[in-house]
Amino acid sequence: MLNKNNKILPFVYLLPTAILLTIFMIIPILYTFYLSFFDWNLIAPTKEFVGLKNYIEVFTDPVNQKVILNTLIYIIFLVILNFVIPYFISLIVKFFISKMQGTYKVLFFIPSLFSLVVGAMIFTWILNPVSGPLAYILKAIGLTMPNWSNSGILAITVICLITNWKVFGYNFILLLTGLGSIPKNIIDAARIDGIPKWRLVWNVILPMNRGIAIYVLILTIVQGLQYVFTPINVITTGGPYYGSSNVIYQTYLNAFVLYKTGTSSALAITTFLIFLILLFLEIKFVESRDKDYV
Amino acid sequence: MNKKFFRNLSVVLSLLALTFIFAGCSKKSSANEVTKITYWHVNAQTQGGATVDQLVKKFNDTHKNIKVTAKYNPNMYQGLMQNLQSAQASGKVPDIVQVGWAYDNYFASNFKYMTPTDAAKKFDGSNKFIDTNFNKRSLSFAKDSTGKLVGLPYSLSTPVLFINKDILAKYNIDENSLQTCEGVKEASQKINQQSGKYGLYIQEPGDTWAQQALMLSHGADIQKNGKATFASKQGIAAYKYYQDMVNSKLALHTPWAQGMDSFVKGDVAMAFTTIAQASHIKKSASFNAAAIVAPHFKGSKTVVPVGGSMLSITAQDEKQQKAAWEFEKFMYSNDSTVTWSKGTGYLPSTKSALKSADFKDYVKQNPMLQPAVDTLDNAIPWTSFPQKGLQAEQAMIDARDKILSGSNVSSTLKSAQEKINAQQK
Repeated sequence: MLNKNNKILPFVYLLPTAILLTIFMIIPILYTFYLSFFDWNLIAPTKEFVGLKNYIEVFTDPVNQKVILNTLIYIIFLVILNFVIPYFISLIVKFFISKMQGTYKVLFFIPSLFSLVVGAMIFTWILNPVSGPLAYILKAIGLTMPNWSNSGILAITVICLITNWKVFGYNFILLLTGLGSIPKNIIDAARIDGIPKWRLVWNVILPMNRGIAIYVLILTIVQGLQYVFTPINVITTGGPYYGSSNVIYQTYLNAFVLYKTGTSSALAITTFLIFLILLFLEIKFVESRDKDYV
Repeated sequence: MNKKFFRNLSVVLSLLALTFIFAGCSKKSSANEVTKITYWHVNAQTQGGATVDQLVKKFNDTHKNIKVTAKYNPNMYQGLMQNLQSAQASGKVPDIVQVGWAYDNYFASNFKYMTPTDAAKKFDGSNKFIDTNFNKRSLSFAKDSTGKLVGLPYSLSTPVLFINKDILAKYNIDENSLQTCEGVKEASQKINQQSGKYGLYIQEPGDTWAQQALMLSHGADIQKNGKATFASKQGIAAYKYYQDMVNSKLALHTPWAQGMDSFVKGDVAMAFTTIAQASHIKKSASFNAAAIVAPHFKGSKTVVPVGGSMLSITAQDEKQQKAAWEFEKFMYSNDSTVTWSKGTGYLPSTKSALKSADFKDYVKQNPMLQPAVDTLDNAIPWTSFPQKGLQAEQAMIDARDKILSGSNVSSTLKSAQEKINAQQK
């Protein structure tokens, strides 16, 4: 009896979560997959089956190609700004600076408490190329500020900087915590052996912190691409001519502005697959690391 | 026997009494029965939402048998349309909705609605209400591509040219010279040469409303019989003018919020934007700001697409439809229309409200509104293509972005036009 209960109970406990996941994640994903084969305006009673046309469009339409390329640029910028730099600084704070660690944590973390919409609006005001405070300062010293919202690459840079303002502190604390959990005796042993500090970092600390680092890296990419949505929507609406759009914004634009659910779904499924591959990598590296300890 | 008789009698009597009680109840409830309807609008608290609440409260106080609940939908007409889709999917639609002109055809071909003409005939017995309150021009704004009246015009707006009088005075620019686009360009050159400032900003939101006004005011047609025709000689010339101004730094090319910010800070001398910006400009500008009628090209006259929205009845039940019609009539009374106009900065949509002393007084106190009122006579319906209108608008936005980034005007407009027309089958 007890045994039988033990077999069923775990499933009963999981049931609420399973139901929620099915309703809010699995069914919508399957429905999106289904919609990606149709031409539909979100409300008309009839859906026209178009086969793989939407998927072909994802890869052949010049606008989508541009958007996919932008997405890659976003990923590169986000990895540098929200992963490499916080990692570098957390290493410095942990191993090269002994004072004020708490202060840095608090200072860096403050912006992540603000909403991204607020951040985006403040940055648009500060960075207004003609009438913003920064433009006035530059003007005073004889420089003109480039009109960044008219250049795709500059707009992407500004948008990434805004997300950087938001997520930097959070990533910094995650990485710092990871570094703090490295057993101190290993570091001490290395120090006694007289290993130079940079070798200590390169050969001991970085490999030992790999799990957290890869977690933050994946988070930077997957969450970062969603985070940039807000500034894109508030500031550039994807412009100039899709120059600052990415796959997530384009999915939204197709679905809820143009009501092209088919194209949007195909784009969403493609993005989903890309993220799935990233997730697979995360599981492979992070989880395999855990197995090393077992 | 007697006992039985009395028992029967008492049963009959009590049954009768019960019937009376129930009859009384039902009579009472039909007199006091409250029809509940919901009204979906897009006005945030800062954009007239408080006025909407005030009007709804007044209606509820004066109409005891109808209760209107107003629901604010964030993200303007687009947000409302998205919510309406989910409402339709769940089968529980609101009774009255505020529909932006851009969604005219999309709304008409995808949602069930009661046309005002039917409502007037059914509940009033005649078209009198519509005919006395609206002129032909304003009714034309609310028709779909088949010519059917989808709703009643509710808020109207037109683009105007806001000017920084201080800058104009400083560089000796005559206001009258700004009636033409050529004059605006000359003034911009003068300002730019002497101060390095921009002359003009034309609004660049997620639609090409202002750019269409520019083409129309050069004698171009945006569409004719449901086909795009903006890549005409005049349309191309208007966009070339705009591109030239941007390339030579006479006009500022930047997103809307930044452009307006630059105007109110005095870094741009003129702003071509909607009259709905008037209160913002009045509040934020530190200079002497005014508004004039939007400029036209020499040899043409000012023609602008109208902005704003209409009210449509989406109620399915006859009782609700009747209540919704009643509410609409209240909203279009002079008093409500002018109150609404004051709260939102839009222009009233009815003939009599425009002529009312109350509104005229208001315009006197806010002279920026006058050019917008004058422009209404030259306003045409918002461009709405019968098929895939939202994608057509996106094609025009794309063309604008490309042209302002330096693409060839003629070929860009032509390919946008072909793209739109390919979908109009």
